Amino acid sequence: MKTCFRVAAAALVIGYALFTKSAIAADTNEEAIVALKGQIAGMEEQMLANQPVLDGLAKIKLTGYIQSQFQIADTDGAAGFSGGNFPAGNHQRFLIRRGRLKVNYVNNLTQYVLQFDVTQGGVAIKDAYLSYNFPWDKKAWTITAGGFDRPFGFEISYSSSNRESPERSRMYQVLFPGERDLGLKFDYAPDSGPMKFLRAKVGAFNGMGVTAVENDNNKDIIGRLGVALPFYDQNMALDAGVSMYMGKVRNGDKYQYAVEGTPKKWMVDSTSTNKNMYYDRNYMGFDAQFYADMPVIGGLSLRMEFISGDQPSLNGSNTFYIYTTPATGVSPLTTGVYQRKFSGYYVNYVQNIGLMDQFVLKYDSFDPNTDVEGDDIGLTNANVRVDNFTSADVQWTTLGFGWVHHMDGNVKLVIYYDMPTNENVSSTLLVGSLLPFKEDIKDNVLTVRMQYKF
Amino acid sequence: MALNPKNKGLEMKKILLVLSLLLPISMFAADKTNLTVKGSDTMVILAQRWAEIYMTARPDVTVSVTGGGSGVGIAALQNGTTDIANSSRPMKSSEREKLKQRYNSLGVEVKVAKDGLSVYLNDANPVQELSLDQLKGIYTGMITNWKALGGKDEKIIVYGRENSSGTYVYFKDNVLGGEDFAPLVQTLPGTAAVVNAVTKDVNGIGYGGAAYAKGIKYCLVKKDAKSTAYEPTEANVKSGDYPISRYLYMYLRARPTGELQKYVDWILSPEGQAVVAKVGYFPVR
Repeated sequence: MKTCFRVAAAALVIGYALFTKSAIAADTNEEAIVALKGQIAGMEEQMLANQPVLDGLAKIKLTGYIQSQFQIADTDGAAGFSGGNFPAGNHQRFLIRRGRLKVNYVNNLTQYVLQFDVTQGGVAIKDAYLSYNFPWDKKAWTITAGGFDRPFGFEISYSSSNRESPERSRMYQVLFPGERDLGLKFDYAPDSGPMKFLRAKVGAFNGMGVTAVENDNNKDIIGRLGVALPFYDQNMALDAGVSMYMGKVRNGDKYQYAVEGTPKKWMVDSTSTNKNMYYDRNYMGFDAQFYADMPVIGGLSLRMEFISGDQPSLNGSNTFYIYTTPATGVSPLTTGVYQRKFSGYYVNYVQNIGLMDQFVLKYDSFDPNTDVEGDDIGLTNANVRVDNFTSADVQWTTLGFGWVHHMDGNVKLVIYYDMPTNENVSSTLLVGSLLPFKEDIKDNVLTVRMQYKF
Repeated sequence: MALNPKNKGLEMKKILLVLSLLLPISMFAADKTNLTVKGSDTMVILAQRWAEIYMTARPDVTVSVTGGGSGVGIAALQNGTTDIANSSRPMKSSEREKLKQRYNSLGVEVKVAKDGLSVYLNDANPVQELSLDQLKGIYTGMITNWKALGGKDEKIIVYGRENSSGTYVYFKDNVLGGEDFAPLVQTLPGTAAVVNAVTKDVNGIGYGGAAYAKGIKYCLVKKDAKSTAYEPTEANVKSGDYPISRYLYMYLRARPTGELQKYVDWILSPEGQAVVAKVGYFPVR
C-alpha cells in the first residue's frame, strides 16, 4: 500500500513537472512568436517608410561606357576621320576615344538626361535634354528639348557604343560634327495600332551644334519619316526612312563663290548686298537597314545611307559655314561663302558569328564638291595654277573591315582596319598642301579598341 | 631611326597578322548541353517542372532555371547570359530593338502556355467578384475600402509585384489601362509571396498566375458591371470569357538549333504540354 502511494506520488510529481515544462515551453513559443511578429511588423513599417526613397532612387539610371584604344597609322601625322589627325612626327597613339557617363531620371511620362564625355582632351557636354511623353494616343508622341542628336538618318542616332566600326562614316563627320544640336523635337512612334510601323521625328534647331552660340534668327528644320517593318515569323526586319535638313547660314562678308567657267574654278561675286545674305544648307537623305537571322551562324545586318545637298562652306574646309566664332558668337569672319554641292553614301555589313563575335565590312564615299573632279583640281597653264580648289574639294572613299569580340555583357574588343582612298588631283607641278593628293595618301589606320559599357 | 612609310606599312601588316591570330578561334560553338532559362516568376514552377522531366529523360543535358521577373529574363537574353527568357508578357519593341542592335535579330517568340491572370482573395473575404473597373479603382487607389465593393467596412490591403515582373506590366497595361499603381500597393518579390500575403490577410487582394492559387480563393472577374463574372478556368480562358487571360512566352535570340531546338520542340510536344496542365496553366496545343 505504502509502495503504491509512493509510486502514485512520484507519478504525480513527474506529471506535474512535465505539464509545467510543456506549459512553460508553450508560453515561451508564444512569446517568441509574438516577438517575431513584432519584429516583422517593425520591418514592414520600416520598409514602407523607406519605399518612397527606394522608388525615387530606382528612377535614376546611370549608364556609361569607356572606349580605350591603340591606333597605328601608315605615316607620321596622318590626317583622317578614324579618331582625328595624328600629331606631326607620330603614327602610333593610345587614346580614350570616348568616356561617357549618362544620368537618366525617368518619372513616368517625363525624362531628364545629362551625358558627359570625359577624355584626355577634357570634359565635354554631349546630351542635356528633357522629354515629355504625352499620355494620349497610347504615349506615341514625345517632345524633347535641349541638346541632343539631330533627327536625321540612321547613323547619328546609332550609339557609338553599339556601332561595330569605330567611327561614323566620313560624310556624317563632315555634315553633322558632334551629331548633336540645340533645339526642340517631336517624335511619333506608336507601339500598337495600324500606324505602329511608322517612325516620324521633326524638330527646329540652332544649326550650330550643341556647344556653339547661335548667330542668327533662322532655325534649321530637321526631320526623318521612316518605317520599321518587322517580319517576326521569318525573324527578319526592314527599316527605312527619308530625311531632310533645311537650314541657312549667314554670310559674314560680301564675297560669295560658285564653281563656274572652263576650266572650272571658284568664281567670286562681290556684290555688296551679299554681306549678311542667307545661303541654303539643305540635305536630303535616304537610309535603309535590313536584318536577317542566318541559321547556325547568327544574325546579319546590311545598312546603307545616301545623302546629297548644298553645303555653304569655306575655301579650305567643307564643313558648314559659320560666320562667327562658335564658342562666343562674335568676331565675324572676313571671308565669303563657298557654295558646294555634295553627295555621299555608305554600305555597312555586319555578320554575327555565334554569340560572341561579329565580322564587319564597311565602305563609304564622300564627294564634298560634285561639280569638280580630281582632274579639275590643281590645273596649270604655263606652270601657273588656273584653278583655286583645295583639298576640301577632293573626293574620298574608305574601305574598312574588322572583328568585334564580346568578352561578356560589358566588355568588347574591336580590331578594325580603315583604308581611305583619295581622289588624285591632276597636276604634276603642284606644291604645298595639294602635293600629297597626286597619289593615294598613305593614311590607313589600324584601331584596336577595348570598350566597357554598363 | 625613323621608319620610312613603306616600312611602317610592313610594321602595320605584321601587327594585323598577329592580331588576326589572336582572334577567337571557336567561331562556331559546339552544341550546348547546358541550357539556361531565366525570367518570369509566374513561369518558374512550370519551367522547373519541364527541366526536371526533360533532364530525367535526357541525363546528358542540364537545364538551369532561375526567376527574377520577365524583364530580368529579357535583359539576360540581351546581354547573352541566358539561352531562353521566360516572359509572362510580350516583348516590348524597345527590347526587340536592343536585340536587333546586338545580335541583328528580333528574337524568336514561342507561345508555350496560356494563363488566366488571377485575382486572389482571402477565403474569409465575403466579396466574390469584381469588374475590371473595380480592380482598376483598387489598384490606382480610388477604392480603398471593401465596403464600397459589397464587403466589410475594412481597409483594402493591396498586394502587387515589382516593376521587373511581366505580370506587373500585363496588369498595368490591361487592367489599369496604362495608369500607374497607387503608392499604397505593397510590392512583393514573386507570385508566391503575393499568395502567401493574401492567405494571411483577410483584407488582402493580390494578382498573379493561376498555378499559384493555393490557400486562397479566386475572385471572379467580369468585363464591366453588367457582364457575367468568370473564374479563370481552362474553358473560360480558352473561350475568352475570362477577361484577363494571356499567353506565357519563351524568347530566344535566334531560331533555335541543336539541343535548344530539341528542348523547345519537347515543350511544345504533347508530353511538354501535359506538364502545363498539371502545373495549373492551360496548354497551347
